[in-house]
Order: sequence, then structure tokens, then C-alpha cells
Amino acid sequence: MSETKPVGFSGYATIEHKPALAHLFWWFMFAQGGVLAAILIPVHILVQGILGPLGIVTVVDRHYDTWIGILGNPIVKLYLLVLISLPFFHFAHRLRYLLVDLGVPAAKTVVAQVIFYGGAVLVTLLAIYVLLTTAPISLG
Amino acid sequence: MSAGARASTATKTYRPAMGAGWWTRKRHYFLYMVREFTALPLALWLLWLLYEIYRAGRGPSAFYPPSSTAFVVFSVICLLFALYHSYTFLSLAGVILHFKVLDKPVPSRLIVLSQFGLWLVASVVIGAVLIGFGR
Repeated sequence: MSETKPVGFSGYATIEHKPALAHLFWWFMFAQGGVLAAILIPVHILVQGILGPLGIVTVVDRHYDTWIGILGNPIVKLYLLVLISLPFFHFAHRLRYLLVDLGVPAAKTVVAQVIFYGGAVLVTLLAIYVLLTTAPISLG
Repeated sequence: MSAGARASTATKTYRPAMGAGWWTRKRHYFLYMVREFTALPLALWLLWLLYEIYRAGRGPSAFYPPSSTAFVVFSVICLLFALYHSYTFLSLAGVILHFKVLDKPVPSRLIVLSQFGLWLVASVVIGAVLIGFGR
């Protein structure tokens, strides 16, 4: 496609078509968060939220020493960080557009984007802090 | 709105005339909104899980396992939304992902089936760890 481009001091055309890297990043996080939420969350809710509390099965979070022991495992910490934080990048997008669909155009603004995606970043930082301060890292 | 009023505002910002309740009119719209809404209960449940981890850090004397009926009811509601998210999101894979193997496109049904297979395997493994290491 040909178009008239303003020419800068260098003599080269100044119109630049920048790749939408930010868009790509947030879209990637939305998709990854969605897949992780779809594959990982239901079994956690079923086991830790229903079967465990009803006493149907034994679960790692029913006794203090088992729970704190497993929380000290570095692989478990990493897994829990992924499980808890990544879906929030998916949720942030979904909830922002839920507001748009409910007739709140303000949810499209940059401020709203900062609040929602910033919220996901905040949950990530909070999860890192909680996981690092809850149980000392041990392989035992 | 009269034709005159519309003409006078023609150059101003376009405002869609849809009310906030548009999604209640058709089953398909409603299910779309349910799908978008699943994010809220799932977010709440994950925040609860993070709180449980935080609570463990406060020592054995403050610890009690969650067992209230209200919590189980909350989890059942969250599970229904979680299953709906999983079903809709994993089904999308067949629309989004396009592969070719030996110059032949992989049928979308096979891709969706593999996503559901992955979900099943992951659930069995995680469930086995959560229950197997418990007491």
C-alpha cells in the first residue's frame, strides 16, 4: 500500500508501524491464565473446598504440620505461585470487559486498564510475599 | 429519539443504545455473560487459597482446617463456575489452534479432545497429590 509520508530531517519516512508488543503480552497472559485456570482450578476446589471439608478424603491442608510441610517445598511454592497469580491476568481482562458489556464504558479507559491489570500484578506480588514468608524453603 | 435530535448530534460521539440488560434477552447472550462472570468466583476462591497459605504461616495455635457449611456451599458454587470456564475455554482451543501434521490439518475435534484429555490427566495427578500426601 502506498501512502504519502512526511519526511523527517534524516530524509527517511517518519511513519513507524510499531508492533503492538504490549497488546501481545497482555493477550498472551490472558490466554495462558485462561488455560491454567481451566486445567488446574476445578480439582483444587473439588478436593480442598468440598471433599476435604466434608471429611470424605484426606487432604494436605487439613492438619497444620502436613500443610506447613508441603508449603515449604520449593516446587510447591512455584506451582502455587503459577496457580494463584497467572489466572488473575485472565480474570482482569474478563472482568474489565464484563463491565464494558454491562454498559460501563469507563472500563475501556487507560485508568481502568491500569487498575485491572495492576490488580493482577498486585496479586502476583502478594502471592510471592506470602509464599516466601509462610514456610521456610526445605526439600524435606 | 426524533430525527431532528439525532441529526443535531450526528457529529458527536456515537453512543450505543443498548441497555445494561441486553444479555438477558437471549439464552446465547446470557451464557456469554455467565462465561465472562466465571472470573469473579474463581478469583475469590484463589484469594481464599492464598489466605489459607498465609494463615498457615501464623503458627499451629491459630490453625484450624476450613469445615463450615458456608465454605462448602461457596466452593460448590465456585466449582460450577470453574467447570463452565473449563468447558468453554478448552472447547475454544479447537477454534483457535490450527496445526498441520504431514501436510494434513489436525481436525479441531481432535485438538479439543486433547485439551480435555490434558485437563483429565492434570486433575487426576493433582488430586492424587492433594489426597495422597494428606492425612
